Amino acid sequence: MRTAMMVLAAASVLSAQKADFGKAYSFDERKPKTQIERTVDKLMPSIVKIHGASGLATIKSYATGIIVSDQGHIVTLDQILLQKDRTRVVLYDGSVHEAILYPADEKLLVRILKIDPEEVDGKLQPLWPPSEEQATYRNGQFVVSLGNSFRLAEFSEKVSATFGVVVGKANTALRYRMADVKYDNDIILTDACNNPGHYGGGLFTLDGRWIGLNMRLLDSKETNTMWSAAIPSRDLLPYLEERVLGKKREVETDKVVPVWTGITLFEQAGRQSPPAYVERVKRDSPGRTLGLRVDDLIVRIDDFSIRSCSELRSVLKKYVPGQTVKVMWKRGTRVMTGDMTLSEEPKK
Amino acid sequence: MMLLAVLASCVMQDPIDAVAASEAHRVAVIDRCAQAVCSVMSMDAPGGGSGVIFDPAGFVLTNYHVVGKPDDDYKLPDPPQPPEAVLEAWRQQTEGDDPDEAAFIAKWQKEWRREHQPSGASHYKNKKIGLPDGKLYEGVVLGIDPGSDLAVIRLLPKVAGQTWPSCTLGNSDALLVGETVFAMGNPFLLATDFTPTVTFGIVSGTHRYQEGQGNRMLVYPDCIQVDAPVNPGNSGGPLFNEAGEVIGINGRISIGDRGRVNVGVGFAIAANQIKNFLGDLVAGRHTEHGTLDMSAWFMNSRAGKTHKRGVFVQQTFADSIVAKAGVALGDEITSFNGIEVRSANQLATLVGVLPAGTWVTLSHRPQAALGGFGDEREVTVKLTALDTGSSRDGTGDDARLGSRIDRRIAKDQIVNSWPESSEPGVTVQWTRRGPDGSKLVAITDGERIRLEIARSVLVSLDEKEGDGTQGFAKANGEVRDLTADERERLRRERISNPVLWPRAAVAAHLQHALLVGGVHVHGAPAYRFALPGDGDCEAWLFLDGTPAGFAFRDPMRRAHVQWFVRDTKLRVVVDGELETGWSSGMRATGKPEDQWFRRDA
Repeated sequence: MRTAMMVLAAASVLSAQKADFGKAYSFDERKPKTQIERTVDKLMPSIVKIHGASGLATIKSYATGIIVSDQGHIVTLDQILLQKDRTRVVLYDGSVHEAILYPADEKLLVRILKIDPEEVDGKLQPLWPPSEEQATYRNGQFVVSLGNSFRLAEFSEKVSATFGVVVGKANTALRYRMADVKYDNDIILTDACNNPGHYGGGLFTLDGRWIGLNMRLLDSKETNTMWSAAIPSRDLLPYLEERVLGKKREVETDKVVPVWTGITLFEQAGRQSPPAYVERVKRDSPGRTLGLRVDDLIVRIDDFSIRSCSELRSVLKKYVPGQTVKVMWKRGTRVMTGDMTLSEEPKK
Repeated sequence: MMLLAVLASCVMQDPIDAVAASEAHRVAVIDRCAQAVCSVMSMDAPGGGSGVIFDPAGFVLTNYHVVGKPDDDYKLPDPPQPPEAVLEAWRQQTEGDDPDEAAFIAKWQKEWRREHQPSGASHYKNKKIGLPDGKLYEGVVLGIDPGSDLAVIRLLPKVAGQTWPSCTLGNSDALLVGETVFAMGNPFLLATDFTPTVTFGIVSGTHRYQEGQGNRMLVYPDCIQVDAPVNPGNSGGPLFNEAGEVIGINGRISIGDRGRVNVGVGFAIAANQIKNFLGDLVAGRHTEHGTLDMSAWFMNSRAGKTHKRGVFVQQTFADSIVAKAGVALGDEITSFNGIEVRSANQLATLVGVLPAGTWVTLSHRPQAALGGFGDEREVTVKLTALDTGSSRDGTGDDARLGSRIDRRIAKDQIVNSWPESSEPGVTVQWTRRGPDGSKLVAITDGERIRLEIARSVLVSLDEKEGDGTQGFAKANGEVRDLTADERERLRRERISNPVLWPRAAVAAHLQHALLVGGVHVHGAPAYRFALPGDGDCEAWLFLDGTPAGFAFRDPMRRAHVQWFVRDTKLRVVVDGELETGWSSGMRATGKPEDQWFRRDA
């Protein structure tokens, strides 16, 4: 009995394994015949299941990733479950590997994990985002989406495949607050179903080109709608090239200088989203130049309507010092507008 | 499908033609399939589900959760009075004997109940079934499978001999991820004229294991995951492949944060699992699922000196069937019924789709004292019944929701669906080999049967020609008459052993038989038919009509003997105990040789 218990206890120490990589699915199957079947069959070994820090409430402790190098690099959506020393990757053959984490890309909200290729039996089958011409897609084009929805697949079981079309390309910044998403870039909208656990998986054309990385469902509380979306794979290239191939990035995206308006907002403690009332305006600041006063209510910046202090802050993050924005504010019953040129915070 | 392939590769054929061709094909298949898809509703409650007719005689597959629990307060209707003609005939027959007419009527009504009403403890009110022809039919709930959410309903004909459009069950094991499928049913009861809603998608995953609800009920041990939208009301409806075969019954969905609406993750009970329970369901039984009475888990560990990767026994009871067969905690499970076991989920899937009472083989490597593993050994065990908590209404042969009439209709329907045989020959010869190497040869020719057991020969002759005592036994060079037990033994083998029936005579042999349930023989489902007369004689035939085995009370061995036959595999169970070492030889057909049945030969 005691020996048995020790055997059971040993199972919690999960580590990599030698096995016939890519041949470990539980049940024997027929050969793929149709294009979708062939594509799914070909891509499956490049998709991994990711398990991490245990989930809190609606945050799931599982996700999906895509192998991007034969050195064991895996790209996935950056999420809370990815914690140091607690992230495990399950390959197609069911083997379990501990992963180390690379710094995330702050803008794309994706992250690279790495497993030890020495521990993998057989050769990893990496995917790489196709070139600009190869990565094209059109609205209405058929796509398959691969990911571990609801953690339905465990160990060597295959992840889920869903089918749909590209619905369109969108820029989340322009549709700000249409969806409660903290992402600010081009995305691919699709009707191929995406669910918890599917995040970090891939969106592929029927001939197997990797066009997107599944992101969280876009969720609009306002319209009570949800959309499946993916980050275009070509947008991942600079990050992948930097972290996987070791190339230096040309763009200095790392150092973003925040804009400064000189306005302090009236933020009552305890209230969830107080409206953007002005409490103070500093001297020699863009706000003072515009003519803002205490108790003015800021309601609009360019095309973004402002409903709360936090919305004003996140909208201002989209700008850099030196840009001019159109501001609309309310003073008593009057609505006023004016241009404000944003600046850097003066050094003391 | 062709359309997608062509679109993707953007070559050759004009894509519009391909789209049109593919669409035309799909429309035709859907048009045909839709005829057999129905809505299933209660007589007195709102809501409902879907179903599909899988047999022209009006047998409908749906979910158990669609028919719900048996109606506790439901009482079966009283039997009618005997027809006047029957009474008149009886009066004439008993004229002048001071007849007790009340007693006769009671007897007649008792017989009527036996024939027309189910014998189980619990009953269902009839259901309302809406068909796409816009008509509403009444349906009898025949069989239920609460363990994995299935039920079979029989439509009551509006005119005698009515048949319905139906769809056949396909092979769900041939499904591949990415294969296009469509679901049909009546979600949200959208169609008040019962024309089904069709949704289209791909197979997202195969062989998924989905845990049950409550007390091991509604487990989906081997389901198909699809992204074709499935919504409330689709329950019990069919999932079709491109060829229009039913490859699953849609029963549940995974949901997101917004309640019971589709998020692109639906599950269908695989057709091959349904086939395993079809015999029991159509025969009006409350089916039971089998269990190994142990749990296993997948381990992948390099802790310590030994490297362990595989499926290991995690929990078992000392008196469980596997423990009695010598499987212990920590043993590695290597294969089940000849299929290599690669994950714990897979083992749960393989076991979960089998009915209770199925004989299975399990290979394991016993854990040695120092942490290593011994040599692989194989055990054969009979799956025990999984208690689903739904069995309180009674299980086993007595608990039936269907009447004898239902079972007779089912039998006729099954036998009629088998293809006509063109097999030549009238005699059949079949050899079996016993554990001690002895041969058992049986030869039949119509009503004549010859049985060679070791060195003795038993022959029974055509009963029509003689008084039934004709026949003889030969042993050690002596010829004598048959004993009563020997004669009965020969009779039982002749009427119940389908291996000895010429293929063309199967329907004749089953003319008075009754479908009693299903049985799993060497990895394939079969029907059990009870034959009239003494001796608990049963003939078993696979779903395609080929012989699967038989059972009867052997008067010579004074035991109940079951023979499980598939190709050369032969398993013999005597009074519930396995007799190992049997094998089946070739079955041959031909013309009779006179010496086989001659006393002086």
